Amino acid sequence: MSETFSLPPLEIEQYKLENGLRVVLNHDASIPVVALAVYYDVGSRNERPGKSGFAHLFEHMMFQGSENVPKAGHFQHIMKAGGTMNGTTSSERTNYFETLPANQLPLALWLESDRMRSLAVTQANLDNQREAVKEEKRLRYDNQPYGQIFDLISEMIFTNFGNAHSTIGSMEDLDNASVEDVQEFFRIYYAPNNAVLVISGAFEADTAKQLVKTYFGDIPSQPIPAQVDVEENGEVANKYKSWEDKLAPFPAFLLGWKIPKRRSTEFNSLYLAGKLLYDGDSSRLYQKLVKGDESVIQLFGFTDERRGPSGIFVGAIPKPEMDLSVIRDVIMREIRSIATDGPTPDEMQKLHNQLINDSVRMRQSSMNRAQQIAEFTLYDGDADLINKELEELLAITPAQIRAAADTFLNNENRSLLDIVPAGKG
Amino acid sequence: MTQTSLKTAPEPLAPIPFHLSEPFETRLKNGLRIVLCENDRLPLINFRLAFYSGDADEPSDAIGLTSAVAALLTEGTENYSSRELAEKVDRLGAHLSANSSEDFLVIAASALAMYEADLIDLLAEVLFRPTFPESELSLYKRNTIENLKFQRSQPNFLANEQVGRILYGEHPYATISPSPDDIEKLKRQSLQEHHASSLVPNNAVLIVVGDFEQDQLLAKLEEVFDRHWPKGEPPKREFDTPPDRSAVTITIVDRPGSAQANIVLSNLAAKRNDPDYFAAVVMNQVLGAGASSRVFMNLREEKGYTYGAYTRLNMKKLAGDFEATAEVRTAVTGDSIREFLYELKRIRETPVSEDELADAKNFLKGVFPIRAETQEGLTNLIVNQQLYGLPQDYLQTYRENIDAVTADDVQWAAAKLIQPEKLAFVIVGDGREILAQTSEFASDIEIYDTEGTKKDMAELTAEPAAPASDLSGKWSLSLDFQGQKVPVTLKIEQEGAVVTGTLDTILGSGTISGGRVTGNKLTATATTEMQGEAVEFTINAEVESDSITGTITAPIVPNALPFTGTRDN
Repeated sequence: MSETFSLPPLEIEQYKLENGLRVVLNHDASIPVVALAVYYDVGSRNERPGKSGFAHLFEHMMFQGSENVPKAGHFQHIMKAGGTMNGTTSSERTNYFETLPANQLPLALWLESDRMRSLAVTQANLDNQREAVKEEKRLRYDNQPYGQIFDLISEMIFTNFGNAHSTIGSMEDLDNASVEDVQEFFRIYYAPNNAVLVISGAFEADTAKQLVKTYFGDIPSQPIPAQVDVEENGEVANKYKSWEDKLAPFPAFLLGWKIPKRRSTEFNSLYLAGKLLYDGDSSRLYQKLVKGDESVIQLFGFTDERRGPSGIFVGAIPKPEMDLSVIRDVIMREIRSIATDGPTPDEMQKLHNQLINDSVRMRQSSMNRAQQIAEFTLYDGDADLINKELEELLAITPAQIRAAADTFLNNENRSLLDIVPAGKG
Repeated sequence: MTQTSLKTAPEPLAPIPFHLSEPFETRLKNGLRIVLCENDRLPLINFRLAFYSGDADEPSDAIGLTSAVAALLTEGTENYSSRELAEKVDRLGAHLSANSSEDFLVIAASALAMYEADLIDLLAEVLFRPTFPESELSLYKRNTIENLKFQRSQPNFLANEQVGRILYGEHPYATISPSPDDIEKLKRQSLQEHHASSLVPNNAVLIVVGDFEQDQLLAKLEEVFDRHWPKGEPPKREFDTPPDRSAVTITIVDRPGSAQANIVLSNLAAKRNDPDYFAAVVMNQVLGAGASSRVFMNLREEKGYTYGAYTRLNMKKLAGDFEATAEVRTAVTGDSIREFLYELKRIRETPVSEDELADAKNFLKGVFPIRAETQEGLTNLIVNQQLYGLPQDYLQTYRENIDAVTADDVQWAAAKLIQPEKLAFVIVGDGREILAQTSEFASDIEIYDTEGTKKDMAELTAEPAAPASDLSGKWSLSLDFQGQKVPVTLKIEQEGAVVTGTLDTILGSGTISGGRVTGNKLTATATTEMQGEAVEFTINAEVESDSITGTITAPIVPNALPFTGTRDN
């Protein structure tokens, strides 16, 4: 049934302003709601040694006010209009987004353009947000059981600094940042020609275009930022580290592999192999470890999708008296089984239905559409890929999944991070 | 447009009306109500089979039965094991689950529209043929009991437990959670009997939202849900009325050594289908629903007493309550209550300003269509309209009704729903400190411990016995952790009877603030941060010169862990 499934394409119109801002309109008037996503082509991948954590610090600065919007005014404006908003930072990009009643499109464009044009990069805001980031690091990473393990394993599987270091960065680097450094960072990376603007939802195309021109048209472009080199040399990621975590209640481990870039056949194949291993109550490892052996409290896995070399991870928090190496053997055996025999026909059917289901559900929300379109525009230069993604994934064969698991998910390419509760090791 | 127009926030465009069509309703011969809402925007379908009885309807000697029945519906049937069910559901890329609340039991199923027939079969399978296997029941009991024990370490749970008891008395809403003993008592047979007697068609509604062909679906629903499902006797919802209250009372849950006080001020308010619902919602938005509401601006932004302060209307099917809540530094407990009382009085006595009224209404009207964007969100709106018996055109007229609320209506709703002279104060934290700060607010004061047992007030008001010994120093403990000996370090500084310091264990590192020494007994709490929430370890010990014995109670771990140790020299 799934092979014949097709979805009507999303309406996509893409164009560029004279200052280089890439604009995508995705018209869908089924609900009178509009979502705006602004993606800047800057993430931790752009940071050099000594300047780590800048991209994320900047995400904070973007809520500190601009020429016509006071500090914390962004949030108040959106809230009073009946909307929701946020911003996030990853290795690949920094994004800002809001969803509002459709007639509030001008407000969203005004707020985003005001901070792109005239962010208040002052010493006081910098000092204040540096402290906020330190507090966030304490709360979300240092003071959390298992809070640092994903940063640690990225440092193990990658050798290129741009890939290996964490988004939160080094507090020492942030302390050394001068207001001039930060102003320069803003000038280079927060320029219209380094950004993508997506509007998704209910709007008149002509009105939207006119408003975009009014609010963003006169923001000057800047010289194009230097290209970043995220290539890894050919070496595999075979490493071991034991990490003492003083907050962790139980021992745990995390396995990581370095894999090819997003949207490559190999990446897509491994994404699907991962779903079979750890996604949902019927997944191989959930049934083996959580239900069958009852040896694991928590099982998790995910792919880290990047424009360059990417990652896939599987981890577990075993029950206290369990032998970790036995559980790792179960995981490696299941991976070997996929690498030898490939997925079963039943598993392929499950994958296809889940992919179609995910794809249909993604289309319901204007914000989800805007974000996915922004990624394809920023990373691949083509918003229309949103209409081809499902087809690409459904085309992956059992043989490709088998081969990718065999080539990449082996012991030679595997990093192992053992998490040892401090005082127990 | 000129440059100056970029200086101020732009005017909105013309509003676009949001139209929701009214669903089709019918009833099968066995009494099952059917509500169908066609929505062919995307090829998805969503089912909710909801029963108009829930946790409140179970006998008082079988608390927890309804939630166990709901949880185990999907853990094994006559035709499939738990694993086979998970595989069948996942193979369709579908979702299937069941849950209960005070008033309802709901089975939810969703999938791609092309799997409509398979989904109906799965829904029928878990509804008509669950087997409640012993092995799954035993796994459910183990996991649930661990969760319940963990809850008791959380101050919010302790506060809600008291609020339920005080406001609702003999009404079943008084019980907010089963106890580990209740869960222990559950038997497979009672689950089977409850399933057979309470899941009857003439006490249920089946709501379907999505992309379907109405006549075809209706025929299929009749075939599956009418022919083999006889009428039954719906439970009578006749309960004792919640008690009348005539004065402010104070209930303190003593958690020695807590760094924070969790404050809840509450009174009975209104049930969900109260005629003043819209005025109530707008009132609560102005007063305390969000991060730009009055109590948040006052207690957090101006005074800095707390990370967050809110008010809430819990409007259930048969009754409801109003709550003002905040977690504050213990030292400002009294001051925080004064600010809350000021805000409660102000919204009752003074009309809200036009700006505040407009902001609150704009927010509520604005987020409404955003909530209806996904089929899941739209389904939830329709389910609430159906379950609470709201008017047929409730969703269609929601925004108009919000818009019609005036400043007078808000004041009227505040006066009706907030009763400062009848508030129940429930405060969880360091009892001695809280008592000193709150006794001016009422004469009716009672004290409970964290196990929910009433304590003698004299324990808090009596002069504490002089500490027999000075515990200052570094203590090396050996903790018995499920058979393993685990080293723990306790660093203590003692001033008078008050103890501060740190606790370093494999469960994390905690800060002790405000522990107490009474005679040769130590009670203290160490606070640490886990996954964004403050969690606490409780230490109870007895000291004999340089040796110590006692227990540490920690979240995640079900039982108190015994230890022995000595002071380092």
